[in-house]
Amino acid sequence: MKVVVLVNAVPDTAATPEIAPDGRSVLTEQLEFVLDPYDEYAVEEAVRLKESLGAEVIAVSIGGDVARKALRCAFAMGVESGVLVRLPGGMELTGRGRSFCLLPTLRELSPDLILAGKQTVDSDDAQVPERVAELLDFVHASAVSQLTIGEGARLLVNREIEGGHLVIDLPLPAVVTTEKGINIPRYPALPQVLKAKSKPLHEVAPPLDVDLTAGWQVESVTLQHTARKQQIFSGDIITGVQQLAELLRQDA
Amino acid sequence: MNFALNEEQTEIRDSIIRFARQELSVSADEANGFPHAAWRKCAEMQLMALPFPEEYGGCGADFLTTVVATQAFGYACKDAGLVHAVCTQILCGMQINSFGSEELKHRYLPSLVRGEKIFAQAITEAGSGSDALGMRTRAELAEGGYLLNGTKIFITNGPVADVVLVFAVTNPEVSRISGISCLVVEKGMSGFTQCAPMAKMGLDTLQNGELVFADCPVPAENLVGSAGQGAILFNESMEWERCLLPAAHLGTLERIFETSVAYAKGRSAFGQPISKFQAVSSKIVEMKMALELGRLMLYKVATTKDQHKRAALEASIVKLYISEALKKTCLDAVQIHGGYGYMKEYEVERDLRDSIAATIYSGTSEMQQNIISRFIGL
Repeated sequence: MKVVVLVNAVPDTAATPEIAPDGRSVLTEQLEFVLDPYDEYAVEEAVRLKESLGAEVIAVSIGGDVARKALRCAFAMGVESGVLVRLPGGMELTGRGRSFCLLPTLRELSPDLILAGKQTVDSDDAQVPERVAELLDFVHASAVSQLTIGEGARLLVNREIEGGHLVIDLPLPAVVTTEKGINIPRYPALPQVLKAKSKPLHEVAPPLDVDLTAGWQVESVTLQHTARKQQIFSGDIITGVQQLAELLRQDA
Repeated sequence: MNFALNEEQTEIRDSIIRFARQELSVSADEANGFPHAAWRKCAEMQLMALPFPEEYGGCGADFLTTVVATQAFGYACKDAGLVHAVCTQILCGMQINSFGSEELKHRYLPSLVRGEKIFAQAITEAGSGSDALGMRTRAELAEGGYLLNGTKIFITNGPVADVVLVFAVTNPEVSRISGISCLVVEKGMSGFTQCAPMAKMGLDTLQNGELVFADCPVPAENLVGSAGQGAILFNESMEWERCLLPAAHLGTLERIFETSVAYAKGRSAFGQPISKFQAVSSKIVEMKMALELGRLMLYKVATTKDQHKRAALEASIVKLYISEALKKTCLDAVQIHGGYGYMKEYEVERDLRDSIAATIYSGTSEMQQNIISRFIGL
């Protein structure tokens, strides 16, 4: 079984971003990048398939040096090799462009299963895995919280839906995106971090015959500052607690 | 000269920071006794395995990488007691790895790197702290090995240790330099008693206590290095120790610096952030300078040790400079935080209490000055 896991690097959520002077992008130079937390679930799930079924796991990313970092994080967690679709410095693509650029690599790898995080935490994009599924003509299930490999190249996945669970039986090849709770991603121990450097990472150029224009542009990016209400309840404690409980019920 | 860390060191650093922030976030003041759960997590992360050969389960990292990792650990883990306990484990392993017989290495290093056994080294005695080689604990030749008698005090990890490297006088007839040896003593050996941990000003989770040896028989094969090699072992291990512990301190200093910057920029008085007041900003400038200068010297010592050269002078300078800088940084951080700094909630007061010990253990600041002045030829 061959599993491809799509990974993406995002700014550390603990970091405070700064807006570029043009007001249309975020300054990334000072930001620490990490493997997207949703992708971590996908990587963990892929590595578990490697450990339990002997699956071959390949991580694939698109971008520049930051994307390379995401691949190495995946290596440290147990993925054995990776492919980076290297974009020229500073080149930014939309979900559509990224999907088209990933396509030749994914076709060549010809996986049985593609795993990816259900969305990126930075821009909340949730496009690439779905677009890739369509382009490859694979079946697709998103935001999966449990995954079991069934008999005869089939897959059982569990999706949490409002008030219940949905169990879906899928044929392979398939694209599955991972939701929080599917597993607890491991911390790579230090020897794995050291070994990650020597794992094979192939770089390929994006295809030239694709129209990568987005068809849209970002008008502005702003940071949201939430001001605290700082409400103080006076009077006796019973009334105060009741007022607080009421407020929490209404506003929280 | 290239002052940059390599990719491997950067990744190790980032991994440790992330690990410590997410997994070791329990406030140290809430912890009671030795932090066994956090110790296990550090062991699983293989923090204790860093500088040891792979054949014993280590990571085969060089000393500079170990120092960078320790700095990251001191930066991201707020429990300075745990950080110190892990450093002690690594330092004990380095002595066994560099001086111990093949048999001792195979017997102890695998359980040391996996954190399954807790290690301690016992040098200090009630009557000899700074004058370490003036120790009185005696290891007399006996049938099959040595008979150990004496008492060690303040021993880090002592109350919880499974294995202790005990320094004792094996030959009182010769000079102190060649009459001391290092012996491995295990928990449960007859005549070996580990006393209860002593209450301290800070480093609450670190367990320090008295170790008593009363006619404790130690087999000859437990000798680390050869008989009379204790002082050489001690001097070499002090160079590592005076680099590894300051690495953790420098990490802590960086965290406190960042905390102070954030507070000074966020706290306003008289209509502007207090960082705009020179009396406040100059304290933070001092912190930044100590961080940058300390780091240069720290990495120099670590690199020198990787080249298998002596670095006694440089290690003393680093130890003295960084421990004093940490103490001053902590004191200034409390002052910058004002009343909040004095409250436990803001956590800087704990760093201050922890930092005081840094200028005492592993050779007091006064001893480091003696060493440095001796090197100058004064």
